[in-house]
Amino acid sequence: MASTSRPNPLEEDDDAEEEVQHFDDFTLASSWERFISDIEATCRQWLADGPKNLVEKGAVAVEDSKNLFKVKYDLKNVAKSYCMEFYFQIDNNGSQQAGIGNWNSNSHDLQLCFGVKDFLLIAPQSASGVLLDSPESSKLLSSVAIALSNCASLWPAFVPVHDPSRKAYIGIQNMGTVFTRRFEADRINSQVPVKLMHLEGLYELFVSKFVYSGVDFSMHNFKVHFMMRLTYQTFPYEEDEENDMDELMGDKTDTAEHYGSESRNKLHWDDDCPWSEWYSAEDPLRGFELVVTCADKTVENTLEMAELENASPHEAEKWILHPILSPYLGDPSHGNRIDFSSQLLCVVEALDMSFTAQFMEDFVSGENPGSENLKTSVVIPPPTVLDRVIKDLFHEGSKLPDFTKGEHRLSRALKAAPLESLFTQFCLHSLWFGNCNIRAIASLWIEFVREVRWCWEESQPLPKMPVDGSIDLSTCLIYQKLHLLAICIEKKREMNEEFLDCIGSEDSSDASVSVEEHQKVDKRRNTSSEADLQRKRDSSIAEDTSNRLRFERKTESTNSVNQSPTHAIRRGSAGPAGTMMLLKSHQRLHAPFTQDPPLMTEDMHEERLQAVEAFGDSLNVPGQLEKDILLSDMSAFKAANPDAVFEDFIRWHSPGDWDSSEPEAAEPSGGSITEGSKDKWPPRGRLSQRMSDQGNLWRKSWNDAPALPADDQKPLLDPNREGEKILHYLETVRPHQLLEQMVCTAFRGSADTLNQTNFGDMKQMTSKLEQLYLITKSTLGALQRNNLPDRAETIKDLRRLCVVFEHVEKLVTVAASLHRKFLDASRLAQVIFSDFYGIYVPLMGINSNDEENKSRTEMEVGRQEVTPRERQVVSNLFSPPSANQSWRKVLSMGNLLNGHEPILREIIFSTGDDVNNGIHYAAAADVAATSDRRREEIETHRMYVSGTSNDLRVALSVTSCD
Amino acid sequence: MGSSSGQPEFDYLFKVLLIGDSGVGKSSLLLSFTSNTFDDLSPTIGVDFKVKYLTIGEKKLKLAIWDTAGQERFRTLTSSYYRGAQGIIMVYDVTRRDTFTNLSDIWAKEIDLYSTNQDCIKMLVGNKVDKESERAVTKKEGIDFAREYGCLFLECSAKTRVNVEQCFEELVHKILETPSLTAEGSSGGKKNIFKQNPAQTSSASSSYCCSS
Repeated sequence: MASTSRPNPLEEDDDAEEEVQHFDDFTLASSWERFISDIEATCRQWLADGPKNLVEKGAVAVEDSKNLFKVKYDLKNVAKSYCMEFYFQIDNNGSQQAGIGNWNSNSHDLQLCFGVKDFLLIAPQSASGVLLDSPESSKLLSSVAIALSNCASLWPAFVPVHDPSRKAYIGIQNMGTVFTRRFEADRINSQVPVKLMHLEGLYELFVSKFVYSGVDFSMHNFKVHFMMRLTYQTFPYEEDEENDMDELMGDKTDTAEHYGSESRNKLHWDDDCPWSEWYSAEDPLRGFELVVTCADKTVENTLEMAELENASPHEAEKWILHPILSPYLGDPSHGNRIDFSSQLLCVVEALDMSFTAQFMEDFVSGENPGSENLKTSVVIPPPTVLDRVIKDLFHEGSKLPDFTKGEHRLSRALKAAPLESLFTQFCLHSLWFGNCNIRAIASLWIEFVREVRWCWEESQPLPKMPVDGSIDLSTCLIYQKLHLLAICIEKKREMNEEFLDCIGSEDSSDASVSVEEHQKVDKRRNTSSEADLQRKRDSSIAEDTSNRLRFERKTESTNSVNQSPTHAIRRGSAGPAGTMMLLKSHQRLHAPFTQDPPLMTEDMHEERLQAVEAFGDSLNVPGQLEKDILLSDMSAFKAANPDAVFEDFIRWHSPGDWDSSEPEAAEPSGGSITEGSKDKWPPRGRLSQRMSDQGNLWRKSWNDAPALPADDQKPLLDPNREGEKILHYLETVRPHQLLEQMVCTAFRGSADTLNQTNFGDMKQMTSKLEQLYLITKSTLGALQRNNLPDRAETIKDLRRLCVVFEHVEKLVTVAASLHRKFLDASRLAQVIFSDFYGIYVPLMGINSNDEENKSRTEMEVGRQEVTPRERQVVSNLFSPPSANQSWRKVLSMGNLLNGHEPILREIIFSTGDDVNNGIHYAAAADVAATSDRRREEIETHRMYVSGTSNDLRVALSVTSCD
Repeated sequence: MGSSSGQPEFDYLFKVLLIGDSGVGKSSLLLSFTSNTFDDLSPTIGVDFKVKYLTIGEKKLKLAIWDTAGQERFRTLTSSYYRGAQGIIMVYDVTRRDTFTNLSDIWAKEIDLYSTNQDCIKMLVGNKVDKESERAVTKKEGIDFAREYGCLFLECSAKTRVNVEQCFEELVHKILETPSLTAEGSSGGKKNIFKQNPAQTSSASSSYCCSS
């Protein structure tokens, strides 16, 4: 064995290549020779195949790299087995040497260290994977070198030495006939000599490799090429200082694992984000890594190096930013994270439970048939929490909120309620009440309804609800009911005030209302159409219910318009209607105050629909309500225009049904009353055919209508009756009906909250939110119907919807975090987000589809080049260290960025020699290609230094002419 | 809540709304469609509606047709009926030009204001074509208006029953062709993106994600 192992195999190389190229006589072969030929055969195979074929044959791509591949071959030598790996690169853009020029972050460690492209790595297959003693490694290296020269390959080969943590290697490369490169790398991972912490020292270390010892470096100039790359990292946002420091000190490769450690961000980066009202999210951006590359410089002496050490990173040529994402983003299992999607899932589960009971009370009492399923985890929060939530719902802020707040274009497509309304706030509160289980929801609901009832009984305005407007049928039924209730309370209050005004200090309000009610009914019955009677009644009414407002209206109208005192007194007039005149009396036609049409919630509409279906057209049920309205309008019109006839009413109410034969004269909007029009009075015209038919309903109604101003009429909407009906509904609502509405409203409320997030102009996010609304709409469509077709399937769909929601929520958090960090560099925020979106979105489809597939995915976004204009923004991300952080860290390196020392400094020194002295060999072209220097010059020495003040790796490659 | 019990005897329930100026013949149109008669009806008071069962293809349909009063006074009252309508028919009188111009001045705006259903099918109907001699709005004008507002268009006569059936049937066909509307009106089975078989779901949800 020893005999075949040449003491200096390099000497044999040239000969071997020339003479023994096809030597395959193994008769005398020793085990070493067989080993070498084994290597040789493999290398020949690889050479012959070429990179493209190797990839086709199944070469494995090296992690984190797009174009670096490796093939593997296992070797055996008597006692030990080895593994030979060939790394090769497939470049799209021709021959480009890794490590130099484009300081590629994807480069393999050895490529960077030694400035090579393709290489062989041979390591024993032991546990540690390293040759422990140097003789063995040099023996192995020699064998490889022989094998390689046998097959005329110029690949460099490396062999690890010593302990793996030292990352020590030796290597050799045949560079043609004359030149050989030798490689050597080692590492100090503690106690770096002070001299080597600074650039001057490192420069001198490099120079010492090619200058005879004894020369004073400071006195001579040695031109070397110098390149530097600095990596900075933001301080992790963590309270734990120990951890903090560890991470800062840690090796670059180790930091990734450190980030895995769970710790919650306690600084609340999202304090002004819309969701912070409900929960605090972990910042999806753990921190940033900034890689600063300085241009290729020629340095001549130590002094220059010292200057470079003080140079600011702002002067560097290239900045590359690498955002570090929180690992939770790639983790599809919820764990103990709390956000909207986690809570929405809880309310969906509650919906599933809700079908087991008849009333909400059953869940609280705990004696219902479904209670066996309610295990101990289903807790109701203590009364103090309940009180706080109720207080927050009912007593905080009396002013009416902006109901369009947070509303998306598609919000209204969901059958829910506006974000700021009472019911949505109730739903959002219940998401965080206890763990949003059915019992907690039930207890909150019961208390909620109790509070609503109190508002009703005491005629206190319902908070967070509008007291006017019409019922929005696109909202959920509870919201419609609460809206109508708020209106009823408002009407009740008005009536009470009215009554108290005239009665003074009389008994309870309920009694007063009913008394007034009776009076009105009386009045209605007694009213006759005769003018004198009316006048009498009028005065009595004026005394009876002295509604000041109405009184004012009345006096105003009588003073201003009623010129002739002989005419009946107008009541409930809203003023003259344009220049229209009454046909008979030649008085101004006044428009009356009218009652608002009664409001109906969707179930009331439905009742009417069913009544019509049941009775058909025979009873004319549908028209009843509208007839009441028409009658009310007629009464009010008669009161305001005592001398009016039916035709006058039609001219005002349905102008289309008055056929005027003289267009000019009868033009109602003719402007001023001209003399001419007076002369032609009365205008000629007639009712339309359909209005003048025999038995016309309108005329019948007109004849029946008493002259009564709107205020004195029986109200079209009876607030007492309607309010009481609404409370009955709320108190007896079926649990699943409540939960269905809560699920819809909670989804809309959560989506609307996220929709308020400020993430700047990120188009993907905008469309993603839109998709969320659409998908939510389509999924929730199954709810709030009369019957749930397939409960199990619907619940499944809702769970899937929660997963979709979770994804969008994560995206929103990332977008918001990026937006606020790059307020003045929105381009960066957008490209980083696009990058993230590109990786994240494909995962969404997989995870939302398959519930079993809960594998964790590492999320890694790409590196982004920072333009000079954006540098300030990026540098602001590196906030100067706090006193606490800085005293613990002894700054020992230069090139500080806002007081941040680089966590890694990589330097490449190189020096060349003119080789253009007449020697031309066949391999010269290859030499030029691999050394990346101008053709005349060959890189003789190259040193790669990487590390910090307490961890240093040095790799040296020397080309020599042997 | 007054919910109907049991399985309904129809596949789809569609809500259709009739709007337009007073006196253009909305009620007559409806009556002509539902009971094949023509009468000079009293003006509608507020809102009225009729139910009509139709069978189109294999599908049993129930149409709830809401007939609104054209008078301005009733407009606030009728606004609530726009919601949830799968079809809206705008009616004008071909012999009265103002009823046509009011469509763009008033009624189209009402639809924008009150209808939340984006996919809702709109239809323009010119009524009273039996009075050809008094025609004040040409068919071309009607077509142009319909094109501008993206409506179906038809001229008909409630009196002679010309095109009355076609008018409602065409509307229903169009509703049936619109998946979001049929999903709403469907009485039994639900339809949503998760319902498809699992293999399709992944592509469906990923297309949700990727399309931008």
